[in-house]
Amino acid sequence: MRQVSIVGVGLHPWGKFVDKTFVELGTVAVANALKDANVEWKEIQTICSGIYIYGGNAGHLSGQYLESVFGETGIPVVNVYNACATGSSALRLAYMSIASGQVDTALAVGVDISPEGFLSAKSDNPRQDRDVLRWRMTGMPNPVYWAIECRKRMEKYGSTDEDLARVKVVLSQYGVKNPNARYKKVYTLEQVLNSQMVCDPLRLFEICATSDGAAAIVLSASDKVIKKAYKPVTIAATTMGSAIYGDPTLRISALSAPAKAEAPLLSESYSASQQAYKQAGIGPEDVDVLELPDNSSWHYLQYLETCRFCGEGEAEKMLRDGDTQIGGKVVVCPSGGFSSFGEAIGAQALWQVIEASMQLRGQCGERQVPDVKVAMAQTYGLMGNSGTTILKI
Amino acid sequence: MASEKQKVPALPDLFDWAEDGVRIRSAKCNSCGTYFFPEYHAQHRPGCSREGVEKVLLNNKGKLASYTIQYYMCPPPFKTAGNITPYGIGLVEFPEGIQVAGLITETDLKTLKTGQKMETTTYTLYQDEQGRDVVTWAFRAAK
Repeated sequence: MRQVSIVGVGLHPWGKFVDKTFVELGTVAVANALKDANVEWKEIQTICSGIYIYGGNAGHLSGQYLESVFGETGIPVVNVYNACATGSSALRLAYMSIASGQVDTALAVGVDISPEGFLSAKSDNPRQDRDVLRWRMTGMPNPVYWAIECRKRMEKYGSTDEDLARVKVVLSQYGVKNPNARYKKVYTLEQVLNSQMVCDPLRLFEICATSDGAAAIVLSASDKVIKKAYKPVTIAATTMGSAIYGDPTLRISALSAPAKAEAPLLSESYSASQQAYKQAGIGPEDVDVLELPDNSSWHYLQYLETCRFCGEGEAEKMLRDGDTQIGGKVVVCPSGGFSSFGEAIGAQALWQVIEASMQLRGQCGERQVPDVKVAMAQTYGLMGNSGTTILKI
Repeated sequence: MASEKQKVPALPDLFDWAEDGVRIRSAKCNSCGTYFFPEYHAQHRPGCSREGVEKVLLNNKGKLASYTIQYYMCPPPFKTAGNITPYGIGLVEFPEGIQVAGLITETDLKTLKTGQKMETTTYTLYQDEQGRDVVTWAFRAAK
């Protein structure tokens, strides 16, 4: 397998853009990535594009729609979907296309325009889509799943309401320094604790919003392309994991879980991260910056354990001791996280990799972490989807 | 009770009701021992021959493994007669070794405690055009 580098990254800032189409958002991200890479459109030899599920047939062919904007060149264009790990899937496919020697330079892209409020079911057949069941029979939007897991954790390890609120406080201090973030406001513990309860024990500011955004990455193994890039970043690993039988997590869209655990909680994420450590030949102790999927405060705490940055039940102490901030063991979500950005399903995993790349390249301004050598981006998607990317410079 | 109003499930094959109470419909794989819910959503142990799957009714009593209280109304396709917030959602662990999620019918949600004994019941979501109660499965504190 050949070594593959990230040579250019581009975003459309996160927010709500009611008057824009997904193609318009994606075009901005791709144009920015090409410019950043100093690469011509004709040098792109394959497009791996995240499917935009709310976009109908066009959204499912997002890669073709974006290709036509820049000019159709006959290259392989493949559209992929792995829920909120869709971007990981696009990146992994682009990486594999290059590492295998099929092409030298590839584009991974993802765009999303979220519907207003809670994300909802996309089919109406309960026998083949259990999403229909959970919406129609039990009234369970996604945060309910997180709240149920969060309560289990609080009772098992004694995490407090303050721990959950502290996650938002910490992340908001980064978000305010990130020009691409949707929410740029610093919160105090008191403000978070006074925010409205959404699904007990999770409050409004402890759950991420749904946003619109786009992210694009140019990858290459071509010496010529790498040479003209500004601070290329090496992909040490990019993996994906699915769930493992016996995982006790009540997974989003499921209405049941095994009572007896035979696999780790969030087993898909455990699997993806373990594969990534093995591929990169490093461990969590070597990671300087971690972009984890903080869909809720529970995720922030749980992922520190799932990816083995601490032992069981130790995440709260890490947070309280400042070990997840600059100067601590690992700097968690210096981008501001989903807490400051909100989810944009098809784009968010690529955005996380871009933030990690920018930290390695020293381009993060006020939120820059000093001396970053290894950065990791970890995703989480419903129905057992996860991707892990480890980057080095 | 003179004449209980007729009730119909909002979706079929998920639960039954009989004299001994409301029971969740499940399926058990006799090869790998796994219980499924819904019964048509298979989740076999890797390597299982997948032979001998039989439909079973779960015990109607279990314990509360976790829960939440939802303060925002769930959007469609969740359909109820009106805004039912705040409403409880529980994860109940049955003796068969499977946990099932569902609405909680308790009116005093503040009294909920994990580990407490629960029983399966039905909850009326809305009434259809014929005036029948359209119901889902739900949980309440065991009597």
